[in-house]
Amino acid sequence: MNKVPQPNSLSNWYLPGIFKGLWYTLTNMIKNIFNRKAMPTLNYPEEKYNYSSRFKGNHILTVKKDGSLRCTACMLCATNCPAQCIKIDASEHDDPEVEKFPIKYEIDILRCVYCGFCEEACPVDAIRMGPEWQTPGLGNANFTYDIQKLAYRANLKGGIQSAVDDKERHKAGI
Amino acid sequence: MPKCTINGTEVEVKEGATVIEAFKKMDEDIAHYCWHPGLSIAGVCRLCMIDVEGARGPQIACNTVVKEGMVVTNQSEQIKDIVKWGMDFHLINHPLDCPICDQAGECGLQEQYMKFGQYDPEMDQRKVKKRKVVDLGEKVVLDSERCILCSRCVRFTDEVSKTKELGIFNRGDRSEIGTFKDKPLNNKYSLNTVDICPVGALTSKDFRFRQRVWYLKNEDTVCNGCSTGCNIKVYYNEDGLFRVKPEHNEEVNGYWMCDDGRDIYKFANKDQRLLKAKKFDGSTWLEMTAGKAMQDLHQNLFNDVKTNCSKVGVVFTGQYTNEEYANAMQTFKSLGVASFFEWNDSESTKDEFDGLLIRGDKNPNTKGLQDEARNHSGLKSLSDAISAVESGQIDTVFVMAPENISVYPNYQKTYESLSKAKNFIWFGANKTEGFEKTSSANTYLIPMKSYIEKDGTFSYHDHAQKFFAVTTIVAGALTLSEAMTLFQGKELEFELRAKPMTSLKNNHFTLNRGKL
Repeated sequence: MNKVPQPNSLSNWYLPGIFKGLWYTLTNMIKNIFNRKAMPTLNYPEEKYNYSSRFKGNHILTVKKDGSLRCTACMLCATNCPAQCIKIDASEHDDPEVEKFPIKYEIDILRCVYCGFCEEACPVDAIRMGPEWQTPGLGNANFTYDIQKLAYRANLKGGIQSAVDDKERHKAGI
Repeated sequence: MPKCTINGTEVEVKEGATVIEAFKKMDEDIAHYCWHPGLSIAGVCRLCMIDVEGARGPQIACNTVVKEGMVVTNQSEQIKDIVKWGMDFHLINHPLDCPICDQAGECGLQEQYMKFGQYDPEMDQRKVKKRKVVDLGEKVVLDSERCILCSRCVRFTDEVSKTKELGIFNRGDRSEIGTFKDKPLNNKYSLNTVDICPVGALTSKDFRFRQRVWYLKNEDTVCNGCSTGCNIKVYYNEDGLFRVKPEHNEEVNGYWMCDDGRDIYKFANKDQRLLKAKKFDGSTWLEMTAGKAMQDLHQNLFNDVKTNCSKVGVVFTGQYTNEEYANAMQTFKSLGVASFFEWNDSESTKDEFDGLLIRGDKNPNTKGLQDEARNHSGLKSLSDAISAVESGQIDTVFVMAPENISVYPNYQKTYESLSKAKNFIWFGANKTEGFEKTSSANTYLIPMKSYIEKDGTFSYHDHAQKFFAVTTIVAGALTLSEAMTLFQGKELEFELRAKPMTSLKNNHFTLNRGKL
């Protein structure tokens, strides 16, 4: 724990504080010039920090083996979301085994607080928080991510496969 | 009147009442699926187990008649155990698809499992797979896997609608609900089977997958689909109204309502409504707020109406409340207007009744309108109004248009023939796009509130019912009384009309996180 320095007779004066601060800056600058490896700051964006692959960043909607969305539009993530940033419209699927699927799944990424509750609420491993953390955009960028962006964006290479498979579950008798 | 003791408290019930009715009267918890107060007793779910003092063993409460001095309990350890493992049997083949099941959130299985079950299943066999998403008829979808064979829906079609479409087919664990090959479930009361289904086996095609039930709030009101006046609950949130369910009222509708009545929320939703007042001054359409339009009307027409009162006609429909009729007729009478007309497109069938709920008069308040008009000069028919407009006897027409336009097949035709008048003022809740072309110089379209948004009284064929505003859908709309006040040049006294939402759209769960 840091202790807050108590005011003493010296700190009532202006110049001692200024020189103390300048001295601190100067010593650190010299240290950084001669020992660049120990420098704590990064020259972003040329240098990037290597986060863990388990970092909980931008959402990914997983897909089934055939590439269709794993999500069943049960809305548990939207219910559990404290920021209320998930919007889902469900519809009837042609296949009676699937029954319900989302025709619209949108996350308002600017409202999202990255708490991970959606991932926890999901009963079928359909939504995950991926390692991607860098999502800048210019003025007219769209920060409401839709299915195309959440499940099939280019760096996911065709989609991440879900760990839960309906057919395997049926075989197991669930 | 026999008295009995339920869980230690004495209660007096009607002669011939069953023990489960005594439990319900006491508000005591008792597990049950197959028993429904509006249907006969089947006794198939075996969950409403009770101990009767002096009896050989446990009994079922739904089929045991209360006798004088009976001492009943369902709190003993043995009964709790029986109910718990009875529930395990019910859930043996029940799939775990609550996430995609529309019933989740209001499901008998979920609620009663939390109250009486809470066991770890001990079944090690595979679940029996049955048919999913079976189309039973125009409005109902069946999921056989979820069905627990309580037979409520079968008894409903046998006893209440008397159409006998449903039955239980096959034997043992392969039993399932179904319809006969050539007889789909297409009766006028089919959606009641969805209401009484304690699980998600029967779901409504109209409501299916549109909302999760925990996003909806509900409020009591009455149905304005016909002159029966069933008591209903409307389910709504900020996005509008989503469905209608019947509410028990022994004197009016019992536990049921018809399928047509379940569509009456649709015309009240925003996409069907006239949102802003419109004024046509001979060349262009102007949009304005309803209050502004009524003030404009007061400035331009109020004195004209007063001086030429014999050339003014007012057309009423039976879809407004008694209070509004009284106010409107009083206003026009004070101006000297005496030509009141009644527009009712279900005039020819108005005495029809199917014996259960559906009546031929599709207006909720025809009686209220006629009663009120009797205090004034009576009502003439719509054809009189149209011929008077065509012959020029009437040059200013006020039309109190219907809101439930699905029962007004001549809606557009009537609009077109009445709009030939020189001054045409149309009070209506529905949007008029597509036919608002008009030949008259002065047209006003004033948005009205639907019955969901206002307080009032409807006089049905033999009774009157008061109802209260549920929610606000079109913020700028007026009631007829408010419109009349503004028409006279007075100011409106505002109260906070809209009830504040007590919870956010989906925060029932969020606020209680961790407590479930």
